[in-house]
Amino acid sequence: MTTSDSEEDTYDERSALMSSETPPVPSYQPEQSDPDPSAQGPVSRRAKRSGRGAGPEAELDEEEELTLKYGAKHVIMLFIPVTLCMVVVVATIKSIGFYTEKTNQRLIYTPFSEDEVSVGRRLLNSFLNSIVMISVIVVMTIFLVMLYKYRCYKFIHGWLILSSLMLLFWFSYLYLGELFKNYNMAMDFPTVGVLIWNFGAVGMICIHWKGPLQLQQAYLIIISALMALVFIKYLPEWSTWVILGAISIYDLVAVLSPKGPLRMLVETAQERNEPIFPALIYSSGMAWMVGMANPAEGRRQQSDAEAQEAGGSLEAEDSPDPPAGAQGACPSGEDQEEESGVKLGLGDFIFYSVLVGKAAATGGDWNTTLACFVAILIGLCLTLLLLAIFKKALPALPISIAFGLVFYFSTDYLVQPFMDNLATNQYYI
Amino acid sequence: MNLERVSNEEKLGLCRKYYLGGFAFLPFLWLVNVVWFFQDAFIKPAYTEQLQIKAYVKRSGLGLALWVAVLTTWITIYQHYRAQWGEVGDSLSFTIPLGIP
Repeated sequence: MTTSDSEEDTYDERSALMSSETPPVPSYQPEQSDPDPSAQGPVSRRAKRSGRGAGPEAELDEEEELTLKYGAKHVIMLFIPVTLCMVVVVATIKSIGFYTEKTNQRLIYTPFSEDEVSVGRRLLNSFLNSIVMISVIVVMTIFLVMLYKYRCYKFIHGWLILSSLMLLFWFSYLYLGELFKNYNMAMDFPTVGVLIWNFGAVGMICIHWKGPLQLQQAYLIIISALMALVFIKYLPEWSTWVILGAISIYDLVAVLSPKGPLRMLVETAQERNEPIFPALIYSSGMAWMVGMANPAEGRRQQSDAEAQEAGGSLEAEDSPDPPAGAQGACPSGEDQEEESGVKLGLGDFIFYSVLVGKAAATGGDWNTTLACFVAILIGLCLTLLLLAIFKKALPALPISIAFGLVFYFSTDYLVQPFMDNLATNQYYI
Repeated sequence: MNLERVSNEEKLGLCRKYYLGGFAFLPFLWLVNVVWFFQDAFIKPAYTEQLQIKAYVKRSGLGLALWVAVLTTWITIYQHYRAQWGEVGDSLSFTIPLGIP
């Protein structure tokens, strides 16, 4: 399979997980950032908070409590899309043979073949593959950060649109083809044409312009799943695991270290007080800026999503630009209306799904798949907990992938034979 | 995008754009239009733009129904007569089932 633009895009940014609150805000509550004394508009969702009258200590406690409560809510809000993505990928892997067929084609990002006889050579090749892949990612990310720094927005938008076009039309066309072949159904070109055209066009509209939130979320999940399937098919086996590990480390470095490209991206965007790439992020809630008569002024109240980074690498999917929508929407001087949500980069979805999908494809049986699935969710939980504590952009990959890898290898090589032996010998524990 | 936070004029504009967009062979867009604006058009208490939104939603629904009818007819014909059409059937086919029916 030849490389495509979207493949290159996939490594633009590393995944990062961000709370939808402005970093300076001490608590998780969006109202806190509202400087308007007449806040707590009628539509405010935090009804509980209006009852707070006690001293600062009581306030702090309540804030913490609410922080954790809302943190828990966000965990659930992210579980569902991540689970859905993984379910789609695993279902496809298990039912459609195409994605697990051995293929000699490789992406140019993994030039070293794994058809080696000796274990050592194969291991070496997979490490070399991952080095190539990671360097491509690093270069792409730095390129993106440079473009962003020098305000080449048009270029970036064009790139993102091209990527999503590729994904929505070409990959889904291939997927549909494989689906029909698998179930031995006849399908004609006119119908397929209409289907793909509708799917792709509505997808572009929902993602890059305005559309219902659920539909946009659904599209983001679908394209993450499609991308993950491509990776599962075209990355050689051992390279996949090494690449997963390497990407987690890169993610950690890129988001947390002071000179990391992603961190620079966040900081630049925060300086400019603008949203960092609404693209490439899955947002679980909606972010609304305060409505001001003068849209330019509205930005000073910006909180929530605006300060968030477009974590995920991969997919250039532009979610509808929150500030533009909200500014145009609210008439002048309205109370700040916010619904905090959590944002997760699409790259995170993709790599989680790659891990689980690969486990489903090559692992022993469902035990391995389920173990990896649980591991990733636990990792996600922990990451969100850290997010609630630190309240700044965090890498979402490392913890989950680390757990996932540990669980995969231990289940496949230790737990699985153990369970099989127990079952064979009819020994129940 | 949450419709509740959007002004009525914007809603009307959005509904209209979705309606017009559907003419580009996009019945799915009409479906999204109907589902998304259904509440605003029929269930919410009256407001200025509601009449127009209602009109757009109804027309989108009509267009959608038309498309569904056409597609269903075509798919039925194709699936039924594909084998008999011989070469024409094959050239129309995206995937051809294998094996003996």
